[in-house]
Amino acid sequence: MFLELIGAKLRIVRGNFLSNKEGRHRGPLFIALSVIFSVMLFRGTLWLVNQSLAIQPVGELLVQKLISIAFLIFLGLLTFSNIVTAFTTFYLADDMDFLMAQPIPSDSLFSSRYIEALTQSSWVIVLFGMPAFTALGVGLDAPWQYYGMMLVVFLPFVAIPTGIASIIALVVSNMLVATRMRDAMMFMGMAAFVILFTLIRFMQPERLLNPDTFDSVGEMINLLSTPKNSFLPSDWSVNALTPLLFQERAFDWWSFGLLYTTPLALYFISAWLHRRYFNRGYSRVQEGRVGESVLTTLRDWMLRRSTRRGGGATAKIDALIQDTEGSFSSFSELIMKDRRIFMRDASQWSNILVIVALMTIYLVNYKYFEIASETDFFNGVGLYYFNLAACGFVVVALSGRFLFPAVSIEGRSFWLMMQAPISLERMLIGKWLGAMPPVIFVGQLMIWASNILVTYSVFHSITAAILILCISICVAGIAVGLGAVYPQFYNPNASAIAASFGAIIFMILSIILMLFSLVCCFWFITHMGKYLEGSAEFPTLWTDYFGLFLSVFMPACVAWLSIKAGAGSLRGRM
Amino acid sequence: MTTQSTDAPRATSDAILTIQGLNKQYGKFTAVRHIDLDVPPGQVFGILGPNGAGKTTTLRMITGLIEPTAGEITIDGHAMSKDPLGAKAITGFIPDRPYVYDKLTAFEYLQFIAGLYSMKRKDAGVRMKELLSLFHLAEWGDSLIESFSHGMKQRLVFAGALLPRPKLLVVDEPMVGLDPKGHRLIKGLFTSLTKEEGMTILLSTHTLEVAEEVCDQIAIVNHGKIIARGTLNELRMTSGEDQGSLEQVFLRLTEEREEERAARVAERFGNSDVPLAHQDEDQGA
Repeated sequence: MFLELIGAKLRIVRGNFLSNKEGRHRGPLFIALSVIFSVMLFRGTLWLVNQSLAIQPVGELLVQKLISIAFLIFLGLLTFSNIVTAFTTFYLADDMDFLMAQPIPSDSLFSSRYIEALTQSSWVIVLFGMPAFTALGVGLDAPWQYYGMMLVVFLPFVAIPTGIASIIALVVSNMLVATRMRDAMMFMGMAAFVILFTLIRFMQPERLLNPDTFDSVGEMINLLSTPKNSFLPSDWSVNALTPLLFQERAFDWWSFGLLYTTPLALYFISAWLHRRYFNRGYSRVQEGRVGESVLTTLRDWMLRRSTRRGGGATAKIDALIQDTEGSFSSFSELIMKDRRIFMRDASQWSNILVIVALMTIYLVNYKYFEIASETDFFNGVGLYYFNLAACGFVVVALSGRFLFPAVSIEGRSFWLMMQAPISLERMLIGKWLGAMPPVIFVGQLMIWASNILVTYSVFHSITAAILILCISICVAGIAVGLGAVYPQFYNPNASAIAASFGAIIFMILSIILMLFSLVCCFWFITHMGKYLEGSAEFPTLWTDYFGLFLSVFMPACVAWLSIKAGAGSLRGRM
Repeated sequence: MTTQSTDAPRATSDAILTIQGLNKQYGKFTAVRHIDLDVPPGQVFGILGPNGAGKTTTLRMITGLIEPTAGEITIDGHAMSKDPLGAKAITGFIPDRPYVYDKLTAFEYLQFIAGLYSMKRKDAGVRMKELLSLFHLAEWGDSLIESFSHGMKQRLVFAGALLPRPKLLVVDEPMVGLDPKGHRLIKGLFTSLTKEEGMTILLSTHTLEVAEEVCDQIAIVNHGKIIARGTLNELRMTSGEDQGSLEQVFLRLTEEREEERAARVAERFGNSDVPLAHQDEDQGA
């Protein structure tokens, strides 16, 4: 039965790839973008490894530390993504009602869902982790066995968060009903993320970039020494991988053993717990809201307030009747509708935490990276562009999370748009305009905060703000457009839509574009900056201005094309 | 049994809806084949047919939800291919399942519809008051739609479709989820909309009793084409069921031999060995 269930899922995936409805060019486009992104990731990692190795006498220790940080970041992302996925896969998936009504052995159902959650939440990490770890091998001239070990280590590493997440989802489902469960899962995901962030901060990665900040070589080596007795799976992975990477003789069997026994143990514990408590939890998730709590009362009060703002329906209708001149505008009603739905969807509220977390991580890290700005690694110019890239990345992440699902969350109500006398382009532009201000606000807040932290010149501060403004506008358009090219009308979970196949394409494309934009305007900003400082002539090279033009024109073009492609794709689905 | 095809349109120069050579193909499968139809204004025009006959596909093409492979749909002079927004502006649609935005209130939903149709605020206000009262939703104007029952949602969708005063109302299975009181309301509404407001209603339903009661004309669709059309009496004559009910007429007109069915399945799935039970499920989808 287990194989039948997994087989059905695989056939659905294959069907999606072959389906004209899902976009014929999706596969090739994804492969092309993935290859470009992987090459960039490979080259970037290789550069980082070579730079680290050049710092003597601690180059190799530094690389080990970077591997630790990479695994820790992966663990954080996997934990976050697994918690969201487990909740959807085990309890809220569309097909669960059907499957629960069938005579399917509970162990088979559990195992198939477990594998599905594992695959869904970890394929991206595996796909993009490989180029980075391959670059490590190339940079350190590792033997061929290292590349095999890389796969052997990644498999149990990604399975551990799935086991933990499935158990957490089970516990939460036995305690809370669906409406609160979604919030709780999001909070827990965020909590896990914050804990890992604190752990990374504890490692003080910025000090690794500037060896001068250590009092002695001893202190530095102490900080860099590889953990041997950690309880974190990321450290087990480092300990299992590094002996081959650095061609050491002693293989860490203890860590390797922990790496394989832990996910197996978690799987069996989770399976045993699911046998006993899954039906109860699943049943509770189906129940409506019961009982009163402070949160429920507060939520109801806020909803009541928002639905009666400006008076009740009768008063509003009377006000409309009094208005003899005005007409409704489709744009403003589209924007209002999207805002109302967003603000009233409790599952989106907890996502505000994502914004806060992203901004905190950004600003805190930025302050730390400032310390490293005097090294060869990051000089002032490097830090300026690093800041722009990091800020752009946050804008891309935000757009991916909140704007990419904008069309999909229309869901089964989308027929209303299709039958209305409004063009699909207009509808998408309405969504773009409606969702753009918050992204611009967050982008500007971050760039100005970081500008003030480092006290850049007025020219550099304003240029950075304008660049981030352009990137925010364009990335928002690309998110809405590609969200329409790859819609998931039947997926009720915006978080899951934001982690879908199409969303990954959006992320890769936007990051490449953002970096392209930064590279194009580099010469103009540098030359103009020097001129304003009085150290150079006024820039007259046409390439400076052409680069500047390209840095704005290209993302704007792609945004516009994305909107057009989105409308075309929706039309094609008709 | 396959009856004589009556594909040729009844020429009515003032038809509100004209369909010419309408075709829809999904890959090699033809869902709708060369439908010609004229619907005169001010009538309830029923479209009946077995599961998978092509009714919903036809209605969705008329409302602009699906693009035809070939053919032309003209609504009150607006060709759907050349002026889709003009055609949509005078057409209302009520789907079989009332999926609407759960996080809006009934009033906000209607306001959103008024926005989509760029209505005058005054007209929208007057119409909202009228419709909320007509569909017994006035006291629910401030409630989120998520708290509504299926029947209430269906009534709200009716109100939304009627808000911009469409000339043509396309209704797919209007009675799904409605209680007997709702049935009576809708049947009375269809009559008053056509007789008093001059609206044209294109209605697809499996509830033959409703079709018999409210439809002025009926077209029976099977295998993607119109196999018969006319008033109930004309259909009785065509089917040979002179005294029969609409149900008997319908069954007679749409019955088919095993070989015909096998040929149709082979056309659709490229494999006539597919068990018949499975074919039924697939076509109903």
